[in-house]
Amino acid sequence: MADYVLEVQNVDKVYGQGETAVQALQNISFKVRKGEFMLIVGSSGSGKSTLLNMIGLLDRPTTGNVTIDGIDTSTLNDNQLSTFRNSKLGFIFQFSNLLSDLTVLENVMFPRKIQGTLQSAAEEASTLLKTVGLESQMNKFANKISGGQAQRVAITRALINRPAIVLADEPTGNLDSLSAETTIHLLKSLNRKLNQTFIVVTHDRPQFGDVDKVVTIRDGKIVEGELEASLR
Amino acid sequence: MDYRAQLGIRFITRRKGSLIAASLAVAIAILVVQVNSVIFQGLYDAIVRDLINYRFGHVFISRQEDFITKSSFVLVNWLERIPYVEAAAPRIDYSAQINSTVNGQLIKDYAVPVIGVDPVLDRKASTMYQTVGDGQYVSFRNSIVLGAIADRDLGYPKVGDTVKLKFKDQHGNDVLKRFTVVGITKTAGSVGLDNSVIINIDTLREIIDRPQQTQSIIVKLSDPTKDEQVKDFFLSSFPSNADKFKAQTIEEAAELTLSGFRSGIALINLVGYFGMMSSAFAVVTIQMMQVTSKTRDIGVMRALGSKRKDVLLVFIFQGMVIGAIGAGLGTVLGVVYTVYAKETHLTFQGSLALEVKYNWTSIVQTDILAFVLAVIASIYPAYKATKLEPVEAMRVG
Ligand SMILES: Nc1ncnc2c1ncn2[C@@H]1O[C@H](COP(=O)(O)OP(=O)(O)OP(=O)(O)O)[C@@H](O)[C@H]1O
Ligand SMILES: [Mg+2]
Repeated sequence: MADYVLEVQNVDKVYGQGETAVQALQNISFKVRKGEFMLIVGSSGSGKSTLLNMIGLLDRPTTGNVTIDGIDTSTLNDNQLSTFRNSKLGFIFQFSNLLSDLTVLENVMFPRKIQGTLQSAAEEASTLLKTVGLESQMNKFANKISGGQAQRVAITRALINRPAIVLADEPTGNLDSLSAETTIHLLKSLNRKLNQTFIVVTHDRPQFGDVDKVVTIRDGKIVEGELEASLR
Repeated sequence: MDYRAQLGIRFITRRKGSLIAASLAVAIAILVVQVNSVIFQGLYDAIVRDLINYRFGHVFISRQEDFITKSSFVLVNWLERIPYVEAAAPRIDYSAQINSTVNGQLIKDYAVPVIGVDPVLDRKASTMYQTVGDGQYVSFRNSIVLGAIADRDLGYPKVGDTVKLKFKDQHGNDVLKRFTVVGITKTAGSVGLDNSVIINIDTLREIIDRPQQTQSIIVKLSDPTKDEQVKDFFLSSFPSNADKFKAQTIEEAAELTLSGFRSGIALINLVGYFGMMSSAFAVVTIQMMQVTSKTRDIGVMRALGSKRKDVLLVFIFQGMVIGAIGAGLGTVLGVVYTVYAKETHLTFQGSLALEVKYNWTSIVQTDILAFVLAVIASIYPAYKATKLEPVEAMRVG
């Protein structure tokens, strides 16, 4: 049996309590192998972002377990979760998620600064920026570049710590179609070149073409039978 | 640089409005404290200065409830042999009924303090003689110098006019004596001797039938910090039990005048510190706004792996920037005002000129206090920031 980089087991998420409680996720289970490119799809309000927050350890499930790189994350405390996110996960959000008071280069190096492993960080960051064609923008402040450029910076920032999984929530949701295409192409080529695991939330399934796995969510549940696994 | 320090500095320095508002609040509080100190400490020091110059010297020697019978000539000579002593002079404080005739009309009797001075020694131990605006200081036996207030109360007799004083000598007999006005003193503020008249001490001794006697000796020091030593040396040589001598430093001699003023200063300082408290509240408000406007950034930091304490440090560093810039600005403004007050010999409506000193200890203390308050004021907003969850990074909008 192959090693799984991610195992989601019986995850429930309930927001609020009593009469106003919302069951955002119900009994979610699936596994992801290293190097897979996985999509989470579903209509608005179905629970995609909620699920991504659970995987990204930004929020805790009400019940169930998320295991990343063989570590059951439910046992980690707040500080351990922070360290874990820093070393094992990369994030790309829909809206501008760069720190606008830092330059492009400083943003890319930021996960390294948190980690305190600054040796050769600047070189690695600029190499990564070169691969996404942004070496000329390195010293600009993050709020002085375009949305498409910002998303590419966010991608390089997500990669700088060589995480187990890169998570992206509607990474193209805010971009024009050309920038969106560039971004998707970039994600998929990085997936292949670096054997980097990606989990991407989208409401535009066709944009991504051929991928390894698709999880479809409806009303907080995985829709059985629509679990695509082209490699199986 | 530490990334938390870097973020804290960038957060606040790239928001000019917040930075200016917060550091001005700190700076103004410091300025208020410094201006208060220049004015009120300056007034206090000016009063001490004038009390030394006009009334007490640095060390004031008298005798418990009696006149000094030991020759003032001997005492002054003895004192002037002490290295720190610049000069010493005998004085007698007395009182008399005074009247004057202006344009042939009699102004009625008036009770006035009379000060007997040695015309030669007093010029060395006191600057009283410099306050004579019109005429000259006491010299010959029946010369008199009128204080400006005494002069006014007498209907403005001029230099050359004659005034008559009625004394009671030590046996209770009335003694009448005529004097010629040689000068009129005018000092700023209330510390001078403007309500008194000054005559030759030997004349006064004669009138009250106390030949060779003295009431007090004022001692001027070349090094004012040695006042306790001079006082102790004097008392050990002329024991207070045998000779009943009393020696006091200026602080002791003028205790009554100064203690009230000191509590006034303490109150004014309290007002200054309340100003500092309100500037701290301004910092709290501005920092809360900063935290609110940086909610998403804090979420991103947390998502990328910053711990709660890292978020705390970012806003504490921000408070340190506010405190440092505010303290720097406040010090510059305060020192500029202090220099201005010192160079222009600042006075208020003809009152005495402030004795302005550069009190670096107090300036540094105020700065440190303001800086620490700005940091303390940042703790609550910073703590609030740590309560934000990493999912804030994902929030739409
Ligand atoms: N913090 C929250 N508190 C309460 N309810 C929430 C919260 N976050 C999400 N929900 C609810 O949970 C459900 C799933 O929301 P979620 O954001 O995961 O949907 P989504 O699939 O990402 O939608 P979209 O495509 O619009 O982004 C929704 O009904 C939403 O209203
Ligand atoms: Mg969503």
